[in-house]
Amino acid sequence: MAAPLTLLLILAVTIRAALYRSSLADLIAERVEVVSPLTAWKRVVEGLALLDLGVSPYAGDVFHETPLIIYLFHFLVDYAEITFMVTDVITAVALYLAVKDYNKQVFRKQKYALEAERYPLDCLELIRSPKEMYYIPLKVAMFYLLNPFTILSCVAKSTCGLNNAVIALFILTTIKGNVLLSAIFLSLATYQSIYPLTLCAPALLYLTQRQYIPVNFRRFSFWWFVAQYAFMYLGSLFVMICLSFFLLGSWDYLPSVYGFILSVPDLTPNIGLFWYFFAEMFEHFRLFFLCVFQINIFFYTIPLSIKLKEHPVFLIFMQLAVISIFKSYPTVGDIALYLAFLPVWSHLHRFLRNIFLVSCVLLACSALFPVLWHLWIYAGSANSNFYYAITLLFNVAQVGRTVTETKVHLAASVSGFVYRSCCLTVT
Amino acid sequence: AAADAAVMPSLKTLRGQLAALSIAAVVILIGVPLWWRTTETYRAWLPVSQIQELANLQLQLSADVEVVFARGTVTPEQQKKVPLTLTQDDEHVVDGDLRTTICDLMVTKYEGCKVSNVLNSFVSRGHSVEADLSLHTLSESPCGSLVVYVIPESSSLLPEDVDVYVGQRRTALLRIGAQTRVGRTLEQLLSHLEPRVKQVLQVMSFSHTDITAALSDRVRLSPGNKESIADSMRAFKSSPGYEITFSLLNPDPKSHRLHWDIEGAVQTYIQPLLRKLAPLANFSIDSQTLYYAMLGVNPRFDSSRSAYTLNSDSLAHVINPVEARLGSNAASSNPVLNFLLYVPDAHHSPLHINDHKKQEVPSNAFHSPRWGGIMVYNVNDFYGPEAAFPVDINIDMAKVMGVFLAQLRLLLGVQSSAPPPRFLVAPCSSAGIADWELDRLMWSRSVENIATATTTITSLAQLLDQIGNIVINDNIAQQVSSAVTSLQLAVAELESGNLRFALQYSKEAILASERAFFDPSLLHLLYFPDDQKFAIYIPLFLPMCVPILLSLLKIVSDARQRRREKHAKAD
Repeated sequence: MAAPLTLLLILAVTIRAALYRSSLADLIAERVEVVSPLTAWKRVVEGLALLDLGVSPYAGDVFHETPLIIYLFHFLVDYAEITFMVTDVITAVALYLAVKDYNKQVFRKQKYALEAERYPLDCLELIRSPKEMYYIPLKVAMFYLLNPFTILSCVAKSTCGLNNAVIALFILTTIKGNVLLSAIFLSLATYQSIYPLTLCAPALLYLTQRQYIPVNFRRFSFWWFVAQYAFMYLGSLFVMICLSFFLLGSWDYLPSVYGFILSVPDLTPNIGLFWYFFAEMFEHFRLFFLCVFQINIFFYTIPLSIKLKEHPVFLIFMQLAVISIFKSYPTVGDIALYLAFLPVWSHLHRFLRNIFLVSCVLLACSALFPVLWHLWIYAGSANSNFYYAITLLFNVAQVGRTVTETKVHLAASVSGFVYRSCCLTVT
Repeated sequence: AAADAAVMPSLKTLRGQLAALSIAAVVILIGVPLWWRTTETYRAWLPVSQIQELANLQLQLSADVEVVFARGTVTPEQQKKVPLTLTQDDEHVVDGDLRTTICDLMVTKYEGCKVSNVLNSFVSRGHSVEADLSLHTLSESPCGSLVVYVIPESSSLLPEDVDVYVGQRRTALLRIGAQTRVGRTLEQLLSHLEPRVKQVLQVMSFSHTDITAALSDRVRLSPGNKESIADSMRAFKSSPGYEITFSLLNPDPKSHRLHWDIEGAVQTYIQPLLRKLAPLANFSIDSQTLYYAMLGVNPRFDSSRSAYTLNSDSLAHVINPVEARLGSNAASSNPVLNFLLYVPDAHHSPLHINDHKKQEVPSNAFHSPRWGGIMVYNVNDFYGPEAAFPVDINIDMAKVMGVFLAQLRLLLGVQSSAPPPRFLVAPCSSAGIADWELDRLMWSRSVENIATATTTITSLAQLLDQIGNIVINDNIAQQVSSAVTSLQLAVAELESGNLRFALQYSKEAILASERAFFDPSLLHLLYFPDDQKFAIYIPLFLPMCVPILLSLLKIVSDARQRRREKHAKAD
């Protein structure tokens, strides 16, 4: 599997390098769908300039990334393009390895379940063959690297690529079963943007199941594991925050980064739901609806965890989808990450009824975004409602696809208690 | 396997129910308190009970009167038995509905012989004016109080037909009546004196009608006769500041080149008065000259007097066309007093104003209530028919300022009602207003300020109570509290007779209450009816709540069905 992967990596790097050298790089770096006030490269450069001047980079409300990013780029600013390409490569390789390991486990479970003869005979079509599952990791890497969203995000030098890399590493370490590294990468991801906190639940579920600890609220072993994980997670988070404080010398990055994410003061249009709503909201209700919208992201963790207890990796996929749809400043880079997981459950796509509709809507909306933006801002013949309509449609399509995936996955897993057949051994 | 198959669906439904319940729990436990806290209207605490107490306006006006007996009015042994203080109060209910009562308190101190030596020296001989002046140098009476000197009937200090002489400062000379001369006891003397001292007090400090007029904003008064209506509408309402504008109207600059030393005249004539009125309000003065400003009325030529005349009926039409051309100091919200000096053009000179009885008005001026005054200054005497136009004319500011000063006094509310019979009022001091006249003004202004501030505060409190949508910020609450405190202090000072402090507190109370009442931050959520709030919530929350409610209902019906099955199985 190394050779096709290497080929894929070379192809991806070539495409990105070619685009970097072309004139499209500047154009893409300004698109609001690709960069947000949190992730724009222009702002990182501004923060670096302020840092060189000796002023706090958070003065002036321009820079909203975390201090570790700015110190990373303090050393790497001349090699920025290479850094982002390497980041994408790391993400793809991490996803590749993670999915490969996950597939091994799925195979093992199928084998045991088939031996225990738990399958009713009419579900055999859901059983997956190793040949299908052989190419899935490569497909995942390809879905990520060759996804136009990812390429656009990388060419724009959006720091979303770094966030994706951290989350991919987290997924890799979780699936491998390394509790400490999983906690560290999760805290790093939370430190970058607050929302990956919801990935704690699936991580806990997966790790407890991998270590054969029953997920039962009355068992002490479960709570002991949770305490260990929480300690590692909070400890590394604390270390990172204090490290940022010592590097920067003041606490003013806290309101600039986390206050900015949570209180959404910047209402630049993007592909999310916040900007239009809060542009028209009455001042009196702003705090209430802000709380509602932010709670909305964390709201689905507990019910989904209850429903998808047996499928933590699918839960990770769901949570990533929820985060990238409902976060305060989404970009196409966030979407690219969870779209990369689609091949893992490709055996269910046969049952998704509206996959054609959803895919067409997503493609059409992606094409319409720049068109309506041009009409609104440059030609002046449209207004914000047009752009927001496309945003809404885009998000509705994503949500619709997410919901049907969940339904089909649950149905497939419950009907007859399906576990994959193991008549063929793992290679 | 079959048992497993039976167990699995219930596990799935159990999980589904648990998920739905957790959603409902989050919505109810976190959502509802969050909604309650973040959407409540911020209302700072107001001292409502104190405001309600203030609503029953019960003012007690207390004036200190010091009565000094001269030699010859009381016998020495009576002098020893004179009581030191005597308090007399009079309660008037102004308006039963609004529970406004005024309680006039007259604290009379009877002084035996403290300063009577000087007085005695004037009793037999001397002029009242000199007496008044020298008596004043002996004891400076504080603002709001009076000193009444009682002189014997036989004294020649006062002319024959005069019983009371009201001085420039806060003193009065009272002549004892002839009725009680022989064998009168102290009680008879005192009972004879009290109503007369009271009359002096009513002239010099305040009377029931004055105070009721000051409360005309708050209390509906009976109309009365035409003069009293005109009198009550003449003076400007109490305001923290006034703008005075002097304008010289020259309709004919080709004929007359007018020079007026307005700065010097203002310094000499107006400033002393305004300096004395400084505790009442701030004054700012400006002046201007308007060219080609005509009166809106064509004067009629009266051949019998060979002069042009303006009837009293046409005076009302004079002001409007001129007013449009007068500049005004737009930067302040204080009321403006306009004083116009009109020099008629060469073709319409001389111009005289006639009153209702078709007689010439000697001052050739008229004033408009709550607006200002206009004086017509004829200059045709200054040049002959063969003079070279334009003619340089210097205006005699003394005459002009005399008229304007009188009008200023009237417009500011210094009363000009005729004194009662057998009273002689001293001519005004150089400042243009006597101390007791100033006191009168201060009494009525204090009461007016207190009444207005009380009305403002009580109506604001009522409004805030009735409309729950009004945001009460901390600064509003602070203004209201300071207004209430100032009002309470002002009422207390009026009770104890410290007029100057009462006026100051009443001015502070008015400023704070107006600032609180007209603050724009009150209106942030005013036109936000509750049904519009639901229009904001429903599009978001109703679609979200429908599946939750449905699943909850399903859980309840499933539970009920299971219970029924269990009962059926048990039976």
